[in-house]
Amino acid sequence: MAPWIESVFEFLFKYRPFLFQKGRFVMAPPWLAVIVLVVGAAAVVISYQRAKGGTGPATRLTLAVLRTAALALVLFCLCRPALVLSTVVPQQSFLGVLVDDSQSMRIADDGETRGQVAARSFGPQAPLLKALADRYKLRLFRFSETAERLPSTTDLTFDGSRTSLTQALERASQELSSVPLAGLVLVTDGADNADADVGHLLPRLRARAVPVFTVGLGRERFAKDVELTRVDVPASVLKGTSVTAEVRVAQRGLGGQKVQLQVEDAGRVLQTQEITLPADGESAAARVHLTASEAGPRTFRFKIAPQPGEPIAQNNQQDVPIEVADRREKILYFEGEPRFELKFIRRAVAEDKNLQVVCLQRTSQNKFLRLDVDDADELAGGFPKTREELFKYRGIILGSVEAGFFTADQLRMIAEFVSQRGGGLLTLGGRHSFAEGGYAPTPLAEVLPVVFEEGRDAKQPFFAELKVEPTPFGMTHGVTQLAATEEKSAERWKTLPPLSTLNPIRRTKPGAVSLLLGRGDGLPGAQVVLAYQRYGAGKALAFTVDDSWLWQMHADMPLEDMTHENLWRQLLRWLVSGVPGPVTVSVSSPRTAPGSPVTILATVTDATHLKVNDAQVVARVKDPAGVERDVPLEWTVGKDGEYAGRFTPPDKGAYAVRVEAARAGQTLGSETAQVQAVDLAMEYFGAEMRRPLLERIAEETGGRFYTPQTVPALAEDVKYGGGGATVQETRPLWDMPALYLAIIALVSAEWAYRKARGLA
Amino acid sequence: MTTALLRVSVGSALVAVLLQRPEAVAQGAGQTRRFDRGLLRPDGSAVNDPHPEFYFTRAAYTGYWGRNWAIDYPKADRQFMMGVRRLLTHLDASPDEHPVRLDDPDLNRFPFLYAVEVGRMSLTEPEVLGLRRYLQAGGFLVVDDFWGTREWANFEDEIRQVLPGCTIIDLPRDHPVFSAFYDIREFYQVPNVGNAMAGRTWEKDGFTPFYRGIQDDKGRLIVAINANTDLGDAWEWAEVPEYPLKYSTFAYQMGVNLIIYSMSH
Repeated sequence: MAPWIESVFEFLFKYRPFLFQKGRFVMAPPWLAVIVLVVGAAAVVISYQRAKGGTGPATRLTLAVLRTAALALVLFCLCRPALVLSTVVPQQSFLGVLVDDSQSMRIADDGETRGQVAARSFGPQAPLLKALADRYKLRLFRFSETAERLPSTTDLTFDGSRTSLTQALERASQELSSVPLAGLVLVTDGADNADADVGHLLPRLRARAVPVFTVGLGRERFAKDVELTRVDVPASVLKGTSVTAEVRVAQRGLGGQKVQLQVEDAGRVLQTQEITLPADGESAAARVHLTASEAGPRTFRFKIAPQPGEPIAQNNQQDVPIEVADRREKILYFEGEPRFELKFIRRAVAEDKNLQVVCLQRTSQNKFLRLDVDDADELAGGFPKTREELFKYRGIILGSVEAGFFTADQLRMIAEFVSQRGGGLLTLGGRHSFAEGGYAPTPLAEVLPVVFEEGRDAKQPFFAELKVEPTPFGMTHGVTQLAATEEKSAERWKTLPPLSTLNPIRRTKPGAVSLLLGRGDGLPGAQVVLAYQRYGAGKALAFTVDDSWLWQMHADMPLEDMTHENLWRQLLRWLVSGVPGPVTVSVSSPRTAPGSPVTILATVTDATHLKVNDAQVVARVKDPAGVERDVPLEWTVGKDGEYAGRFTPPDKGAYAVRVEAARAGQTLGSETAQVQAVDLAMEYFGAEMRRPLLERIAEETGGRFYTPQTVPALAEDVKYGGGGATVQETRPLWDMPALYLAIIALVSAEWAYRKARGLA
Repeated sequence: MTTALLRVSVGSALVAVLLQRPEAVAQGAGQTRRFDRGLLRPDGSAVNDPHPEFYFTRAAYTGYWGRNWAIDYPKADRQFMMGVRRLLTHLDASPDEHPVRLDDPDLNRFPFLYAVEVGRMSLTEPEVLGLRRYLQAGGFLVVDDFWGTREWANFEDEIRQVLPGCTIIDLPRDHPVFSAFYDIREFYQVPNVGNAMAGRTWEKDGFTPFYRGIQDDKGRLIVAINANTDLGDAWEWAEVPEYPLKYSTFAYQMGVNLIIYSMSH
């Protein structure tokens, strides 16, 4: 409520609104007053009926109502209305004062930092603090991520890297649980960035009759600010892969302006992109395409240059860790017949050191050609017959091979390769693919992201020439990017020669997405050319054309054009991205403050990718100085194959975590992750004063919200908070100026109306 | 008089045939090659498969004698494909002859190319550019049936126009092309049908067969050179009882291996 409104309220109703909120209204039993009112109303009505004058019944009724209302108010006063308040007994109750000690208190909203504003009211010499100290036994606390006692507010340093209001309130209320507590005063900007939800705590505080009085510091809205709210990149990628980063930007006061987003890796600029800032209150999303070309644990810095007039620049930048792996991912490509597609796919990715496409080509009945195998034994028996053999690969490409070639178990295995092993499956178009290959009644029909057309005559071969174009989703996806920018890529797609398909596919499954469509003369509707869906733990892709090699050979394609190579590299890298090895590792906080504990989680599987619970798992953590120590990981019991351990990085720097798993003396696998202990700038994100949160905390606990302008009323209001040692106090209401004014107004109005109607 | 008239007529016809230029190549030069043809299933019933994966594409080029490119055509082509379709049961192949000019942009739709009698090639500039683009983009060329020092020199001259600076190597016996489908251990000089009947395998001064190749800068074979040997005749006359079986067998094995290699490397 605005201060002037409160003043007017207090003048009219004798007390401030807060007292009415906290108090209980009482009055004498009104029976006699009601009887008198009824008799009086009847007398008024009769007297007006008898009055002379040429007025209608409406006028007389109005006059009767006015006079009766005035009578009612007088009778109300005679019933002794009062407000009963619980008032804290001075010097018998404690009051906790919690002051935010985090970095966001250093923000200067209007020339003065929030810390300085807090000191004005709660510094040792501040009148408010003295007034509070006169009435209560004060206990001071500082809080950021945790809370602790504070001797004096002059000891505040404002260097906490996170803010947890829940921790602060919990700690203070626990420490003061054994004493009569008048309430807690929370002095903060409310920029809570911890994970705990304060909503669970508030009912408990209310039940214990501990009101929280919140003092909000800082601006609710910055005049000008750009904030890089969120950056999402995959946790790990293969070296040389094109990565798509999803970026969200919010702003105040700069809507519609264009800014440059720059992405750096160790000082080297990877990408620059122009972003148009959204309207106030909205956030804009942007996609940035980068290539991770250096292997190892990297940190990508996304930043927007500070704009003139911004009070904080720390929220214009985000550092995002990413693990760039330099391993060779193995893909099994099984082609059921000699096809040029195999030749050109091999050529397209031959130079990619991070992909190994092992080819098994059926050349004739029971005769296979094996290419790029690791040794003479690999695939010597043809297509893998055991899960152990098949699950060694990270991706499978199925060419034109009929379903009848596989045994039922092999088909199930391929489905489980996707659903359980988490592998990637890509099926290519061809005369023995999809429905034409008899896959409709097999488990793979469920895995694939496309719907097979029904009611077709299988003896009638299908053929269509297609002009391929990306869908709106495909325009922004990294796999189908043919040029450095989305606009140039869209133009490039238009120039590609048409391809052909032997499989009519027009629909994707619910939940699947199309990246490419094809249109041809005489085709009813568009053909789905490239579609994708997640299936279980893995992903399934369908590429329904059978001659993408034309994008390499066609006379219209310049020799130096790399479209075919890039498309297949990107497609196969996407196929194997995120496919787990026998050991997968994640950390709770890839970036954390020194001294904050980090949980290491590992999932361990055997050669058939079944989770194991009896492995010996250890994390070897190497600190920035190169010293390594072991952190044992224990099975969490709650989840199959999941092992957990904790370590706390003591100093700033990068910590390399290598998790190794073994069982019965045999190595199962290993995986690496990184943890960076840095000064997090989290305090500068979402740093506007969170008034709704602070008001909610106050309201749900029976307290009140203040700004620096209204905080002088705090000392008085705590008295009526209801916490601590209290006595009941009755405050009369019969002499409220509002009542007198109302009575005078009613009587005057009745007299004036009577005069106007000629009844006076 | 009548005999003289007959000689002149035959001679004129022969000259007309020999001087015929590749422009006269039938079956839609310059158009898309996916034409309708009745194909046969193993049980003999007709299948209409107008879009086969593989065509045995014969290069129609400018030569000194006009139709050098058409030696053994079309019987060798059809006979060879009959065998290929029986041996490579999963290859979706057209059974028909399929000539395409080297300067036809559509050439690039057929990544396997066969050229015969290349000792008598005399390529025009558009043909040089067309073949060069084809090979650099990923096409595979098999050349066959040219004999002796002079014809080798001519071929080398022509191919160095197409691929300047290329290196011609002798293919080692353990080259992947010789084990792509069949494991070929014995190599023969395949004679034309006349010499085979006469008990001789060589022509001109080509006494030793060369199985050579040209690789691209990544070590992939892009031109397979069969010199001082005549695989085409062995395909063409395979059904003749007098033509030695071992030559036909070897020629089919080489042909099949070249197809499989070209479709996988």
